[in-house]
Amino acid sequence: MQGYIYPNEFELHWSILVVVYPYVTGLVAGAFILASLERVFNVKEVQPTYRLALLTALAFLLVAPLPLLAHLGHPLRSYEIFLTPNRQSAMAMFGFVYAWYLMVVLLLEIWFDYRKDLVLWARQEKGLTRWIHYALTLGATDLSPRALSFDERMGRWITIIGIPSAFLLHGYVGFIFGSVKANPWWSSVLMPVVFLFSAIVSGIALVLIIYMVSAMLRWKPVDMKCVDKLAAFLFYAMVVDFSLEMLDFIHRLYESEESIEILSQMIESRLFISLIVLQVALGTLLPMITLGLTAPALSKRSAVKLPDELKRLIYLGSAILVQIGIFSIRWNVVIGGQLFSKSLRGLTVYKLELFGVEGLLAAAALLILPFVILWVLVKILPPWPEAEAKLPRAEDDSGAVTGAVPLR
Amino acid sequence: MAKFDPFRGTRVPQQVPRLVAVFAVAIIGLLVARYFLVPDTFGQLGHYRAAALDTIVAHEKKYAGQQACQLCHFQIMQKRLAGNHKGVGCESCHGPAATHVSDPAQIKPSIPSEREFCLRCHEYSPSRPTGFPQIDPVRHNPMSFCSNCHDPHAPEPPVIPGQCSACHGQIARQKAVSHHAGLECTTCHEAPEEHKVTPRLVRPTKPTERSFCGGCHARDADSPPHIPRINLRLHNPRYVCWQCHYPHYPETP
Ligand code: HEC
Ligand code: HEC
Ligand code: HEC
Ligand code: HEC
Ligand code: HEC
Ligand code: HEC
Ligand code: HEC
Ligand code: HEC
Repeated sequence: MQGYIYPNEFELHWSILVVVYPYVTGLVAGAFILASLERVFNVKEVQPTYRLALLTALAFLLVAPLPLLAHLGHPLRSYEIFLTPNRQSAMAMFGFVYAWYLMVVLLLEIWFDYRKDLVLWARQEKGLTRWIHYALTLGATDLSPRALSFDERMGRWITIIGIPSAFLLHGYVGFIFGSVKANPWWSSVLMPVVFLFSAIVSGIALVLIIYMVSAMLRWKPVDMKCVDKLAAFLFYAMVVDFSLEMLDFIHRLYESEESIEILSQMIESRLFISLIVLQVALGTLLPMITLGLTAPALSKRSAVKLPDELKRLIYLGSAILVQIGIFSIRWNVVIGGQLFSKSLRGLTVYKLELFGVEGLLAAAALLILPFVILWVLVKILPPWPEAEAKLPRAEDDSGAVTGAVPLR
Repeated sequence: MAKFDPFRGTRVPQQVPRLVAVFAVAIIGLLVARYFLVPDTFGQLGHYRAAALDTIVAHEKKYAGQQACQLCHFQIMQKRLAGNHKGVGCESCHGPAATHVSDPAQIKPSIPSEREFCLRCHEYSPSRPTGFPQIDPVRHNPMSFCSNCHDPHAPEPPVIPGQCSACHGQIARQKAVSHHAGLECTTCHEAPEEHKVTPRLVRPTKPTERSFCGGCHARDADSPPHIPRINLRLHNPRYVCWQCHYPHYPETP
């Protein structure tokens, strides 16, 4: 502690769990926007990661509210925000944004995309998996060209609705912080936009990591065209994100409100490691420069010629650095916003506990949980190209199953 | 086994009714849950259960409020309102006293008697505004309860003592019965006024040389004749006088 702070500012109220929450929602929005790229803008190269990105988004979305529930306590009351919607409360409306995104966007898109495969898998398999897959079709087993093209059209429409929804989901998180008038570190109209682009950066980097690691674990070759494209996208997104953050920064410096003194003091002391070192130097500049040089981002060929193996390692390393950087961004926003006194006269410290609901271990568990869920999802809905089932042969438009492998 | 498919042959794709059914179940489920779980009085007065007010009103009252005390403890009330604790309610020190008000003879409120109690508000803490009276409990008259020196109902800011004897009582009492009774402390000590406010920071002078006592006691000193004289050059010249004569109670050993 240093200088003067109000008694109720001595301890931070929003702990590391509140850091995990925007980090995880950011990954959801980012992964989904990456998937949409392929679908809406027809970027063929990233096709191998399309389904993986959707499942990643779903796995992280299922975990997204957990840090909040753990932090607020009383998880058994959480359903009440649906029963008695409060339109005055931005936080309460999140329940609806979340539900819309989960039910109408993500689950539907996955369902339409997988339906054909679900039907075919159910026909070929035996035992439990067969029933799981059959149940997931909801009984809609029509594989006629008309039905399939309906799937395709719906999927496309949902993606088109999904992009603004994903923007809403994460822009909303930025809105929550940006609209706190009393906090000069948060209060900024740029906040939702900055959040959104950092979300895209983190989502692309995450899918890149998961794609490469899963290929490694399955002893499958990595599609180099695909990772090159992902790395290039990651680079573009980082350039936009970094420019926005610089814009925000310069804007604050130029505006130079009365808070500027305590904020710069905070950056120089409390946030030096997490902001200057982790967020800017290691999490942004270093990966951005390496990606700019190694990925084919600025021209058709990359500026520095490297063997594929090395390039993959560099991509993986950069993506991991980006994750650290984005987590630091969330940390700096959430924790930083509470480190200085609203009297602008002093700084407090955040003591991170190890055990307990608000501790480091709980946060780590919440960050590991999505990968466990993803593992289960991948088992039920394999996203790999080779798992995709081929139509046995054309079925007639009436929807009657005339194929060689009947369902019953 | 015949397949159940009521939409077969119609133009609606098979997926639509299935999804509509799922969403219908979810939405109807929500409405049913709303019907059963949302309390009747919810929303009547605002975004909360109106009946909650009655529940709160029905709570037992623990605090009487300081207006209630005035009736019987008028003097204490007047004293407090004129003093430095005018902003501190009776019950913040004496605890909830609603039961005492209804039965003053039987039920007595608590009376704080621990130093820790006053320290809740007065212990030094950097988050308290500068200027708020704060003390360091380890240094500030330890072992003694605060109200031995401060009136809890009208505590006074520190008064600067007028006399040296306020703090140096023992020396003053000794001197008073000694041969030096007629001498002021300031004859021998130059004591700045600030010494009385921050005694440890500003210290008075003390005599350092034999010639100082010689100013009255030397043979040739210009002092009243009844003062006993010595030969300053011969009377134990290798020592300062107060190694043998205690200046606040000088005796001839
Ligand atoms: C109806 C009159 C009445 C009211 C109102 C009243 N008191 Fe008293 N109080 C008394 C009497 C009588 C005594 C007993 C005096 C005695 O025993 O010497 C007393 C004693 C006390 C004592 C001393 C207890 C002790 O152990 O010596 C405290 C402290 C006290 N009252 C506080 C309060 C406070 C605080 C309030 C306001 C919430 C209050 N009183 C309101 C009548 C009242
Ligand atoms: C800052 C805390 C504080 C506040 C505020 C306070 N008291 Fe007291 N009160 C004490 C303490 C401490 C004693 C015990 C005094 C002692 O030990 O000499 C005491 C003693 C008493 C007593 C019994 C002894 C006596 O002096 O008659 C009564 C009665 C009393 N208080 C009533 C009141 C009432 C009425 C009020 C509100 C007008 C009030 N007090 C406000 C701390 C407080
Ligand atoms: C032995 C008598 C004595 C006791 C016991 C005592 N004080 Fe004091 N207190 C004084 C004197 C004398 C002063 C003024 C000189 C000074 O500042 O040291 C004072 C000053 C204060 C001040 C004003 C300080 C300021 O800077 O404005 C506060 C507050 C205070 N005391 C609270 C307490 C509290 C609380 C306790 C019990 C934990 C307590 N006192 C116990 C004698 C006492
Ligand atoms: C609920 C908080 C609270 C409690 C408990 C409390 N005080 Fe105070 N005290 C105050 C406030 C507020 C002031 C007025 C400060 C001001 O004028 O800025 C004050 C003023 C004083 C002063 C005057 C000091 C000065 O320099 O003006 C003294 C002495 C004092 N209190 C002693 C005590 C003692 C002794 C007790 C315990 C019986 C006590 N206080 C309990 C809040 C409290
Ligand atoms: C508020 C209380 C207080 C008053 C009033 C006070 N003193 Fe002191 N004085 C002290 C304290 C406490 C010390 C001891 C400081 C120490 O030993 O650290 C001290 C120390 C001294 C010393 C010794 C200094 C030394 O360096 O050893 C002298 C001499 C002295 N006082 C003289 C006086 C005279 C003369 C007066 C009256 C004009 C006076 N004091 C009034 C509190 C007081
Ligand atoms: C005749 C001169 C004389 C007078 C009068 C006198 N002092 Fe001293 N005082 C001394 C000398 C000399 C010393 C140094 C003693 C030493 O260093 O051992 C001293 C030391 C002290 C000390 C610090 C050492 C101790 O004994 O605690 C205090 C306190 C003190 N005087 C207070 C007083 C006060 C209070 C008065 C008035 C009541 C007073 N003096 C009157 C000469 C005097
Ligand atoms: C301002 C003059 C003055 C100063 C300075 C002074 N004294 Fe004295 N002294 C007196 C007086 C007056 C008497 C008492 C004479 C009487 O008893 O009538 C006295 C008496 C004495 C006595 C004799 C006591 C007795 O038993 O008869 C001694 C010893 C003594 N002083 C020592 C000292 C010492 C040591 C100092 C230096 C620290 C000192 N005096 C400084 C005025 C002074
Ligand atoms: C080594 C110890 C010692 C020292 C130092 C000392 N005295 Fe004495 N003083 C004595 C003794 C012993 C006596 C009594 C016997 C005597 O009359 O010689 C005495 C007696 C006196 C008397 C009383 C004389 C009388 O006629 O009643 C005075 C006055 C006196 N001293 C002042 C001083 C002064 C002033 C100093 C410092 C300049 C001083 N003394 C230093 C030991 C000492």
